[in-house]
Amino acid sequence: MSASLLDHDPVLTPAQVEFRRQVRAFFAEDRVRELAEEIAGYPVGTEAALLPVYRWLGERGWLAPNWPVEYGGAGLGAVEAAIVTEEMTLAGIPDDVHVLSIDIVGLFLLLKGTEQQKRAHLPALAAGERIATVLFTEPEAGSDLAALRTRAVRDGDGWRLSGSKVYNMKSQYGDVALCAARTSDSPVGMHGITLFLLPLRSPGVHVEPVPSYANDRFNLVVIDGVRLTEADVIGRVDDGWALMNEMLQLERTGIDFHAKARRLLDLVLRRAAETGRLADPAYAIPLAELDAKLRAGHALAWQMVRDLGEHNPDPVASAMSKWYVTELFQPILTAAADIDGMDALLTAWDGDAPALGQLEAGYRFGPSHRLASGTSEVMLMLIATNGLGLL
Amino acid sequence: MTAVAELFHPDLNPTLRRLGERPRGAGRAGPSEEDRQVRESVWATLAELDGLRGPGLLDTAELMGPGLYQSPFLDTVFAAELLAADGRFGAELDRIAAGELTLAVAMREHGTDEPDQPAALTVARDRVTGVRRFVAFAAEVDHLLVVGGQEPVLALVPVRQRGVRTRRQDDLGRGDLYEVVLTGARARLLTSGGHYATALANARLRLAAHLAGIARGAVELSAAHLKDRRAFGAPLARQQVLAHRLAALAARTTAVLTFARTAARAAGTGADVRLPAAQALFLAADLAREAAAEAVHLHGARGLTEECDASVFHRRAAVTALTLGTPAGLRRLAATLLANAHTV
Repeated sequence: MSASLLDHDPVLTPAQVEFRRQVRAFFAEDRVRELAEEIAGYPVGTEAALLPVYRWLGERGWLAPNWPVEYGGAGLGAVEAAIVTEEMTLAGIPDDVHVLSIDIVGLFLLLKGTEQQKRAHLPALAAGERIATVLFTEPEAGSDLAALRTRAVRDGDGWRLSGSKVYNMKSQYGDVALCAARTSDSPVGMHGITLFLLPLRSPGVHVEPVPSYANDRFNLVVIDGVRLTEADVIGRVDDGWALMNEMLQLERTGIDFHAKARRLLDLVLRRAAETGRLADPAYAIPLAELDAKLRAGHALAWQMVRDLGEHNPDPVASAMSKWYVTELFQPILTAAADIDGMDALLTAWDGDAPALGQLEAGYRFGPSHRLASGTSEVMLMLIATNGLGLL
Repeated sequence: MTAVAELFHPDLNPTLRRLGERPRGAGRAGPSEEDRQVRESVWATLAELDGLRGPGLLDTAELMGPGLYQSPFLDTVFAAELLAADGRFGAELDRIAAGELTLAVAMREHGTDEPDQPAALTVARDRVTGVRRFVAFAAEVDHLLVVGGQEPVLALVPVRQRGVRTRRQDDLGRGDLYEVVLTGARARLLTSGGHYATALANARLRLAAHLAGIARGAVELSAAHLKDRRAFGAPLARQQVLAHRLAALAARTTAVLTFARTAARAAGTGADVRLPAAQALFLAADLAREAAAEAVHLHGARGLTEECDASVFHRRAAVTALTLGTPAGLRRLAATLLANAHTV
């Protein structure tokens, strides 16, 4: 990463600085670099799932460094977790499985799960041996999650779950999913939602691809009367809405999005230097502006990490962080097209593509960041209402 | 709330915004006697709170933003860093911290001059000759720190002497910018010219924080108005398009301020922050002007009136934004530094 201010920021303790050095050294190992190159050259239809690098991290407790040792973590904090996330992405290792399994589902279980649920899932997730995915979005309920229709009805001492979930990722590889379903009817849509742990390889769970123009596929998951028990409920029955809001705010520091954007901009800067265009102010000045905004986003994301580490998260500032940095993807990717011209549009399968076609692939995946983990409009709504008292 | 935050309490902002404000076309007129006394009182309190030195300067600069507080603060602490780097000005630094000595930094002859390339200055032994314009509070401060030339000469010039003439410039901000004509003015030359680029970067970070404070003030003023003003049968605050525009400005403000703070912490460890300082400042300059223009717009035609503070934000943000370089010049500087960092 180009000249990170964090390398000079005295708010990191010497132990955290040393941890970053060790993590960086790990991602610079030959086996990790070879894997990153292999991933960049994946053929059509192949995407990252349970990568060996997750297991290597898991062996050190680094895949979930902020989890207690007894659950496979390293007993460290939010700062160390952010360091792993950041360095992983900057090294070219896809972190989608990591975000889904550790930062979202794992964190839900760690903070809200029963002891039995934690013991059943956390060690395997932290070891990089199991994938957990998220099943919130439905064909008729995206940002408006309160409109969800997947239903769980009482069935003896358990539940029977039916419905459809769409636009989720990695479910074709997943072992278990965090699934939101309606358990009570209420005039207020937010009431009566419960979170379940759904075994994805159960009879009655059908995972089908939904073609998208990104490298990683979307899935439609049809749940056809799958029987679950009380042991599969996360938190309290009918309390899912509050739980989702609380937990998603914890996940939303912006650090993962920033790292993805920084990796892309560093690729563009490298290409600008290689092509000589960085010496031309017409090209260099817009890049300096994007670099400025990304540094600002980085500073804010790290402030969110520190707030989280001090158990003092700020939901409004977190929404600002997520919004600010994800708005930069499209400008970075269009700048790439300025630097490399038509070459920037060549795919990884062409053979002539600069940067192994990563900019072309990034362009296709770019719009997803403004949609994932709460759309830009949801972030602005949170800032406007809870921050400014509007709406 | 810190003691300095209490001094710049939001309740005082409407008063602070009007301090030293001259009528349009006031020419050489000074501030009213009442305004002068209030300014001195605020300055003395700031000194009592030890607010003129130490690690909190950037946050103090931000706190001054929503009140558009006009003072020699930014220039004085900029000059103090250069005096400290020289090593011979311990007594003056003590007096600055005590609020007894104020300074203005003078580096421009023409409005188009960029602070990275200060205007020429003629130096003959302990006498300096030249013209400096757009010098903040030149008639009120005790000394000018005149910056001249490419490998800059730094000259400490007492204002109250025969070789110094000042003329207030009547500008958009209606505040305290002066032309200064130096004719063989007595000066002490500093040895810290080599520290100028570093001190300028640190000053830019404080100015970026101040501009973020101005943006915050403009957003808060606008949000209050939207909650108060009813149109189309409901408060304007219910209009999503308006709320989202303010939310976006608020997010940019937080990001830029955090960026400036992070870079200032890095500077404290000896890191070279010329690039992030230039970047933070052009982001902040754009933001403050945009937030101020949005404040005028959201107040409707009333935003254009003298009585509405949105108009003060609009005028003052335009002036403050250019104090330590135009955003275009800062972008050019940042592009050069970025290219140097990525040379293959």
